[in-house]
Amino acid sequence: MSPAASLPAGCEDGGMETEQRAPDGRFPRWVYGVGSEPDARFSLANERTFLAWARTGLALLAAGVALEALDLPVEPGLRLAAAVVLIALGTLAPAAAWWGWSRAERAMRLSRPLPAPVGFGLLVGGVGVAGVLVLLGLLRA
Amino acid sequence: MSGPAHPSLAAERTALAWRRTALGLVAGSAAAGRLLAETWGSAAWGVSVVGTLLAVVLLRAARRRRLGVHGRRRWALTSAEALTVGRDPGGRLVTACAGASVLLGLAALAVVLTWPV
Repeated sequence: MSPAASLPAGCEDGGMETEQRAPDGRFPRWVYGVGSEPDARFSLANERTFLAWARTGLALLAAGVALEALDLPVEPGLRLAAAVVLIALGTLAPAAAWWGWSRAERAMRLSRPLPAPVGFGLLVGGVGVAGVLVLLGLLRA
Repeated sequence: MSGPAHPSLAAERTALAWRRTALGLVAGSAAAGRLLAETWGSAAWGVSVVGTLLAVVLLRAARRRRLGVHGRRRWALTSAEALTVGRDPGGRLVTACAGASVLLGLAALAVVLTWPV
Protein backbone atom coordinates (compact mmCIF):
# COMPACT_ATOMS: atom_id res chain seq x y z
CA MET A 1 0.00 0.00 0.00
CA SER A 2 1.45 3.35 -1.02
CA PRO A 3 1.73 6.15 1.55
CA ALA A 4 -0.51 8.28 -0.63
CA ALA A 5 -3.40 5.93 -0.05
CA SER A 6 -3.62 7.00 3.59
CA LEU A 7 -3.94 10.67 2.65
CA PRO A 8 -7.34 12.33 2.15
CA ALA A 9 -8.58 12.47 -1.43
CA GLY A 10 -6.94 15.20 -3.48
CA CYS A 11 -3.68 15.20 -1.51
CA GLU A 12 -1.91 12.54 -3.56
CA ASP A 13 0.00 15.07 -5.63
CA GLY A 14 1.12 16.93 -2.53
CA GLY A 15 2.41 13.83 -0.81
CA MET A 16 5.86 14.04 -2.35
CA GLU A 17 6.29 17.66 -1.36
CA THR A 18 5.25 16.97 2.22
CA GLU A 19 7.78 14.20 2.42
CA GLN A 20 10.58 16.41 1.08
CA ARG A 21 9.85 19.37 3.33
CA ALA A 22 12.88 19.78 5.53
CA PRO A 23 12.30 19.77 9.31
CA ASP A 24 13.95 23.19 9.56
CA GLY A 25 12.06 26.45 9.17
CA ARG A 26 14.03 27.82 6.25
CA PHE A 27 12.44 30.55 4.19
CA PRO A 28 11.15 30.86 1.47
CA ARG A 29 9.41 27.52 1.17
CA TRP A 30 9.08 27.77 -2.60
CA VAL A 31 12.88 27.55 -2.70
CA TYR A 32 13.70 25.24 0.21
CA GLY A 33 10.57 23.11 -0.06
CA VAL A 34 11.65 21.45 -3.32
CA GLY A 35 14.48 19.24 -4.53
CA SER A 36 17.49 18.12 -2.53
CA GLU A 37 20.40 19.87 -0.82
CA PRO A 38 23.06 21.10 -3.26
CA ASP A 39 26.72 21.25 -2.30
CA ALA A 40 26.85 23.92 0.42
CA ARG A 41 29.64 25.70 -1.47
CA PHE A 42 27.26 26.37 -4.34
CA SER A 43 24.64 27.81 -1.98
CA LEU A 44 27.29 30.02 -0.39
CA ALA A 45 28.50 31.19 -3.80
CA ASN A 46 24.92 32.02 -4.72
CA GLU A 47 24.62 34.03 -1.52
CA ARG A 48 27.83 35.94 -2.29
CA THR A 49 26.49 36.78 -5.74
CA PHE A 50 23.40 38.23 -4.11
CA LEU A 51 25.57 40.23 -1.72
CA ALA A 52 27.69 41.57 -4.58
CA TRP A 53 24.50 42.82 -6.23
CA ALA A 54 23.32 44.35 -2.96
CA ARG A 55 26.61 46.24 -2.63
CA THR A 56 26.37 47.37 -6.24
CA GLY A 57 22.96 48.77 -5.36
CA LEU A 58 24.42 50.60 -2.35
CA ALA A 59 27.12 52.10 -4.57
CA LEU A 60 24.48 53.30 -7.04
CA LEU A 61 22.54 54.92 -4.18
CA ALA A 62 25.69 56.65 -2.96
CA ALA A 63 26.42 57.92 -6.48
CA GLY A 64 22.90 59.27 -6.91
CA VAL A 65 22.84 61.02 -3.54
CA ALA A 66 26.35 62.41 -4.01
CA LEU A 67 25.34 63.99 -7.34
CA GLU A 68 22.76 66.13 -5.56
CA ALA A 69 24.32 66.58 -2.14
CA LEU A 70 27.78 67.68 -3.31
CA ASP A 71 26.38 70.64 -5.26
CA LEU A 72 28.26 69.73 -8.43
CA PRO A 73 28.43 72.22 -11.30
CA VAL A 74 25.87 70.36 -13.42
CA GLU A 75 22.64 71.83 -14.81
CA PRO A 76 20.14 71.15 -11.95
CA GLY A 77 17.38 69.49 -14.00
CA LEU A 78 19.69 67.00 -15.70
CA ARG A 79 21.55 66.42 -12.44
CA LEU A 80 18.33 65.53 -10.66
CA ALA A 81 17.30 63.26 -13.54
CA ALA A 82 20.64 61.41 -13.39
CA ALA A 83 20.39 61.10 -9.62
CA VAL A 84 16.87 59.67 -9.83
CA VAL A 85 17.97 57.15 -12.50
CA LEU A 86 20.90 55.99 -10.34
CA ILE A 87 18.78 55.74 -7.20
CA ALA A 88 16.00 53.88 -9.03
CA LEU A 89 18.61 51.38 -10.27
CA GLY A 90 20.07 51.14 -6.76
CA THR A 91 16.64 50.40 -5.33
CA LEU A 92 15.78 47.83 -7.98
CA ALA A 93 19.15 46.06 -7.77
CA PRO A 94 18.64 44.34 -4.39
CA ALA A 95 15.09 43.34 -5.33
CA ALA A 96 16.29 41.84 -8.64
CA ALA A 97 19.18 40.22 -6.77
CA TRP A 98 16.76 38.57 -4.35
CA TRP A 99 14.73 37.26 -7.27
CA GLY A 100 17.87 35.97 -8.99
CA TRP A 101 19.15 34.39 -5.76
CA SER A 102 15.91 32.50 -5.15
CA ARG A 103 15.63 31.30 -8.73
CA ALA A 104 19.25 30.11 -8.78
CA GLU A 105 18.90 28.34 -5.43
CA ARG A 106 15.73 26.63 -6.59
CA ALA A 107 17.34 25.57 -9.87
CA MET A 108 20.34 24.11 -8.00
CA ARG A 109 18.06 22.19 -5.66
CA LEU A 110 16.22 20.74 -8.64
CA SER A 111 19.46 20.05 -10.58
CA ARG A 112 18.22 22.26 -13.38
CA PRO A 113 20.34 24.63 -15.48
CA LEU A 114 20.81 28.02 -13.84
CA PRO A 115 18.37 30.67 -15.04
CA ALA A 116 19.72 33.60 -17.04
CA PRO A 117 20.78 36.52 -14.85
CA VAL A 118 18.21 39.28 -14.36
CA GLY A 119 18.90 42.96 -14.65
CA PHE A 120 22.25 43.10 -16.46
CA GLY A 121 20.81 45.03 -19.39
CA LEU A 122 18.88 47.38 -17.14
CA LEU A 123 21.94 48.08 -15.00
CA VAL A 124 24.25 48.76 -17.94
CA GLY A 125 21.67 50.80 -19.82
CA GLY A 126 20.70 52.81 -16.75
CA VAL A 127 24.26 53.67 -15.77
CA GLY A 128 24.90 54.69 -19.39
CA VAL A 129 21.84 56.94 -19.41
CA ALA A 130 22.87 58.53 -16.11
CA GLY A 131 26.36 59.13 -17.48
CA VAL A 132 25.01 60.82 -20.61
CA LEU A 133 22.70 63.01 -18.48
CA VAL A 134 25.61 64.15 -16.32
CA LEU A 135 27.73 64.83 -19.39
CA LEU A 136 24.98 66.93 -20.98
CA GLY A 137 24.45 68.71 -17.67
CA LEU A 138 28.14 69.53 -17.43
CA LEU A 139 28.13 70.99 -20.94
CA ARG A 140 25.05 73.12 -20.23
CA ALA A 141 26.09 74.35 -16.82
CA MET B 1 45.34 26.78 -6.61
CA SER B 2 43.84 23.52 -7.76
CA GLY B 3 41.13 21.21 -6.62
CA PRO B 4 37.89 22.11 -4.88
CA ALA B 5 38.18 24.64 -2.06
CA HIS B 6 37.47 23.51 1.47
CA PRO B 7 33.84 24.32 2.38
CA SER B 8 34.94 26.31 5.42
CA LEU B 9 36.81 28.68 3.09
CA ALA B 10 33.59 29.25 1.22
CA ALA B 11 31.83 29.87 4.53
CA GLU B 12 34.56 32.34 5.48
CA ARG B 13 34.35 34.20 2.18
CA THR B 14 30.60 34.40 2.57
CA ALA B 15 30.87 35.73 6.12
CA LEU B 16 33.28 38.40 4.86
CA ALA B 17 30.91 39.32 2.06
CA TRP B 18 28.14 39.75 4.64
CA ARG B 19 30.43 41.93 6.70
CA ARG B 20 31.23 44.22 3.76
CA THR B 21 27.58 44.51 2.88
CA ALA B 22 26.55 45.24 6.48
CA LEU B 23 29.22 47.95 6.68
CA GLY B 24 27.77 49.45 3.53
CA LEU B 25 24.31 49.44 5.07
CA VAL B 26 25.62 51.16 8.22
CA ALA B 27 27.43 53.82 6.18
CA GLY B 28 24.45 54.28 3.88
CA SER B 29 21.89 54.63 6.64
CA ALA B 30 24.15 56.98 8.60
CA ALA B 31 24.53 59.19 5.52
CA ALA B 32 20.79 59.01 4.79
CA GLY B 33 19.96 60.07 8.36
CA ARG B 34 22.41 62.96 8.21
CA LEU B 35 21.14 64.19 4.85
CA LEU B 36 17.45 63.74 5.64
CA ALA B 37 17.94 65.73 8.86
CA GLU B 38 18.22 68.82 6.61
CA THR B 39 14.52 68.58 5.80
CA TRP B 40 12.98 66.17 8.31
CA GLY B 41 14.71 67.42 11.42
CA SER B 42 15.95 65.09 14.12
CA ALA B 43 13.34 62.41 13.24
CA ALA B 44 15.57 61.52 10.28
CA TRP B 45 18.11 60.00 12.64
CA GLY B 46 15.61 57.17 13.07
CA VAL B 47 16.70 56.00 9.60
CA SER B 48 20.29 55.73 10.83
CA VAL B 49 19.29 53.92 13.99
CA VAL B 50 17.03 51.43 12.19
CA GLY B 51 19.61 50.80 9.45
CA THR B 52 22.41 50.25 11.94
CA LEU B 53 20.32 47.91 14.09
CA LEU B 54 19.37 45.91 11.01
CA ALA B 55 22.99 45.65 9.93
CA VAL B 56 23.97 44.47 13.41
CA VAL B 57 21.27 41.80 13.28
CA LEU B 58 22.53 40.65 9.86
CA LEU B 59 26.13 40.60 11.09
CA ARG B 60 25.27 38.60 14.18
CA ALA B 61 23.25 36.09 12.19
CA ALA B 62 26.01 35.68 9.60
CA ARG B 63 28.62 35.37 12.33
CA ARG B 64 26.62 32.81 14.28
CA ARG B 65 26.34 30.78 11.12
CA ARG B 66 30.02 31.11 10.39
CA LEU B 67 31.01 29.98 13.88
CA GLY B 68 28.51 27.22 14.11
CA VAL B 69 25.01 27.40 15.42
CA HIS B 70 23.98 28.72 18.84
CA GLY B 71 27.07 30.69 19.69
CA ARG B 72 29.58 27.89 20.05
CA ARG B 73 32.93 29.31 19.09
CA ARG B 74 34.37 26.96 16.53
CA TRP B 75 36.83 28.80 14.34
CA ALA B 76 38.14 25.74 12.57
CA LEU B 77 35.21 24.04 10.99
CA THR B 78 35.56 20.55 9.68
CA SER B 79 34.20 19.90 6.22
CA ALA B 80 31.02 18.31 7.56
CA GLU B 81 30.41 21.17 10.00
CA ALA B 82 30.91 23.75 7.29
CA LEU B 83 28.32 21.96 5.20
CA THR B 84 25.63 22.19 7.89
CA VAL B 85 26.64 25.72 8.87
CA GLY B 86 26.38 26.85 5.27
CA ARG B 87 22.79 25.73 5.22
CA ASP B 88 21.58 27.54 8.31
CA PRO B 89 19.24 30.51 7.82
CA GLY B 90 20.12 31.46 4.22
CA GLY B 91 16.95 32.81 2.76
CA ARG B 92 15.87 34.85 5.77
CA LEU B 93 19.17 36.73 5.85
CA VAL B 94 19.06 37.30 2.10
CA THR B 95 15.47 38.53 2.26
CA ALA B 96 16.17 40.85 5.21
CA CYS B 97 19.20 42.28 3.46
CA ALA B 98 17.27 42.86 0.22
CA GLY B 99 14.43 44.51 2.16
CA ALA B 100 16.79 46.79 4.07
CA SER B 101 18.56 47.80 0.83
CA VAL B 102 15.28 48.62 -0.89
CA LEU B 103 14.20 50.75 2.10
CA LEU B 104 17.53 52.56 2.00
CA GLY B 105 16.92 53.19 -1.71
CA LEU B 106 13.58 54.81 -0.89
CA ALA B 107 15.31 56.94 1.77
CA ALA B 108 17.89 57.99 -0.85
CA LEU B 109 15.07 58.93 -3.23
CA ALA B 110 13.56 61.06 -0.46
CA VAL B 111 16.94 62.73 0.10
CA VAL B 112 17.32 63.67 -3.55
CA LEU B 113 13.73 64.82 -4.09
CA THR B 114 13.62 66.99 -0.97
CA TRP B 115 17.15 68.37 -1.32
CA PRO B 116 17.14 72.18 -1.23
CA VAL B 117 18.47 73.34 -4.61
